[in-house]
Amino acid sequence: MSLLKLVGVSKIYQLDGVSVKAVEKASLEIKKGEFVAIMGPSGSGKSTLMHLAGCLDTPSSGKVYLKGKNISNLNEAELARIRNKEIGFVFQSFNLIPRIKAIDNVSLPLIYAGVNYENRIKRAIRALEKVGLKERIQHLPNQLSGGEQQRVAIARALINHPEIIFADEPTGNLDTKSGDQVMKILKDLNQKGHTIILVTHEQEIADFAQRTIKIRDGKIE
Amino acid sequence: MINFSETTGLALTALKANKVRSFLTMLGIVIGVSSVILLLAIGSGLKNYITQQLADLGSDTIFVMPGNINIGEGGGGGTPGAGVSLPKFTENHLTKIRTKVKSIKYIMPYIESNANLSYKSKAYITQLSGVGPEYPQARNQAVSRGSFFTNSQVNSSKRVVVLGIDVVEELFEDQDPIGKKITISDQRYTVIGVLEEKGGFGGVSYDNLAYAPWTTVLDQNEMDNIQSFWIVAGSAGEVNQTKEEVEAVLLEDLDEEDFSLLDTKSLLDTISSILSVLTAALGGIAAISLLVGGIGIMNIMLVSVTERTREIGLRKAVGATPQEILLQFLTEAVVFSVCGGLIGIGLGIGGALIINRFIQTTVTLWSVALSFGVSSLVGIIFGVAPAAKASRLDPIRALRYE
Ligand SMILES: Nc1ncnc2c1ncn2[C@@H]1O[C@H](COP(=O)(O)OP(=O)(O)OP(=O)(O)O)[C@@H](O)[C@H]1O
Ligand SMILES: [Mg+2]
Repeated sequence: MSLLKLVGVSKIYQLDGVSVKAVEKASLEIKKGEFVAIMGPSGSGKSTLMHLAGCLDTPSSGKVYLKGKNISNLNEAELARIRNKEIGFVFQSFNLIPRIKAIDNVSLPLIYAGVNYENRIKRAIRALEKVGLKERIQHLPNQLSGGEQQRVAIARALINHPEIIFADEPTGNLDTKSGDQVMKILKDLNQKGHTIILVTHEQEIADFAQRTIKIRDGKIE
Repeated sequence: MINFSETTGLALTALKANKVRSFLTMLGIVIGVSSVILLLAIGSGLKNYITQQLADLGSDTIFVMPGNINIGEGGGGGTPGAGVSLPKFTENHLTKIRTKVKSIKYIMPYIESNANLSYKSKAYITQLSGVGPEYPQARNQAVSRGSFFTNSQVNSSKRVVVLGIDVVEELFEDQDPIGKKITISDQRYTVIGVLEEKGGFGGVSYDNLAYAPWTTVLDQNEMDNIQSFWIVAGSAGEVNQTKEEVEAVLLEDLDEEDFSLLDTKSLLDTISSILSVLTAALGGIAAISLLVGGIGIMNIMLVSVTERTREIGLRKAVGATPQEILLQFLTEAVVFSVCGGLIGIGLGIGGALIINRFIQTTVTLWSVALSFGVSSLVGIIFGVAPAAKASRLDPIRALRYE
């Protein structure tokens, strides 16, 4: 059984009467433990596709199955629960909360999972260790380099042991060296059994993946 | 589902992140709550003070005042002072009431005048009251040294005076005042008694007055008519009957507009109701600042939601439900108003204690509970709109928000 399955999924935005087809009749299937890259030029609909697959957004038409369950008609709260348990996100611009420490940023998903404070701290420390940031636990985001911030974001993405980690151009704001570090961590996570879906427009980054899905003008090629 | 203490923790962290702004946001509620508490404390203090004063007179006391003062009738406000006219009471009235109204326990004229008391090089300006020999019983204030003046001293307009304890201390210090001659507005008076200490409330004292026979005071001030009568009815239950009888006697010679009968109970009722209305009005005005404080909270919460759009998007992305976001921002608003309310209670009570040195204030539990309740409610009401706005944000748009 596939972990994630999209069947004829479209996302259409209405802008002043003009409809923009960000994703059009996309179908794809991802198995547990895969490392997949979604590639395409800017504006081709990569992020939109990722949001649809990651339960952040609902399709205008078509169906999304996660672990065999149709999630296309769930309400916001139900989707939030699924994101909390099954999905981790890594964004191009890190998206850390600036006024709280690295450890609190990492433990954020656990607050909404109802985990108590002591366990949150324990697990957050372990997650930060995994991405090599044991020494940066008490730092605020602006006291960290870009690469370190992205590693904090990865720790946050994996803290609740999700089935899938989505990474939307995770190296887009990083230099080559920290970008490589981030990619190594993702690859490492994949080898430990996490399913990784990576959005990028760089071939070198896509090369880390086992399989590449190409998208152009909202359509999967 | 995220629990209450977690939400409160999150809210406190958010407020701490912006201390100055948080403080300024609370200020409206702080001022509102403290001024409500303070004004109500002053109002209740005033009411208690007046109640004590009147209760001290006993509920069986009736004053016969000149002019048409309709205070106390029908419990309404009336316009005290508007109908005051020159007194038309004479000794004849006194005799008539005394003989005709059987339910009276005491009746005496009561005449107030200002006087300059001096003994040797010491001088003291106070009020010289012209009363009858019944005064210590009627007023419930005994003579501690010497004696009060007698009927015959009243009848012969003797220049004798009984002093309050403060006057004695001022003029005689440690000497025995009994039998000493003092000068009151150029006339020589003999001190024949000292009244026991009565104390007073909020700066008004009964111990700094002087008393002389009413006949003497009339002579001294060249007055023809008696200012007022002080009547004590046989019992509290007879007050109304006594009033009617006294009124009937006076109407034989005088017009309705010439005099008024006031008894302590109806005075008390009227003053209480006036003060209650006044206090409520003042408290209401102060409560408006609570509303303003609430608007301030709403304003800052709306700014905060906009500023933290990306944070909200991120929280949703990692699993916060709309309801949890709503709860978080609502809690922040309530924490603002509750903190502001607590500080306001502290300041209000503190302020009332300070003012209590000058005028009596009474902080009532209900005023504290009311203002705190209202301020918390304000937080909830004005927090709902920003929190709802936050909860409705689309996570994708919020994450892309610059
Ligand atoms: N909220 C929206 N309203 C209207 N149009 C949108 C919205 N979001 C995305 N689009 C449009 O959908 C298309 C796909 O956008 P998307 O962000 O998925 O592209 P992308 O492949 O991720 O691009 P990039 O590589 O630049 O991130 C674009 O043409 C974009 O303008
Ligand atoms: Mg994109």
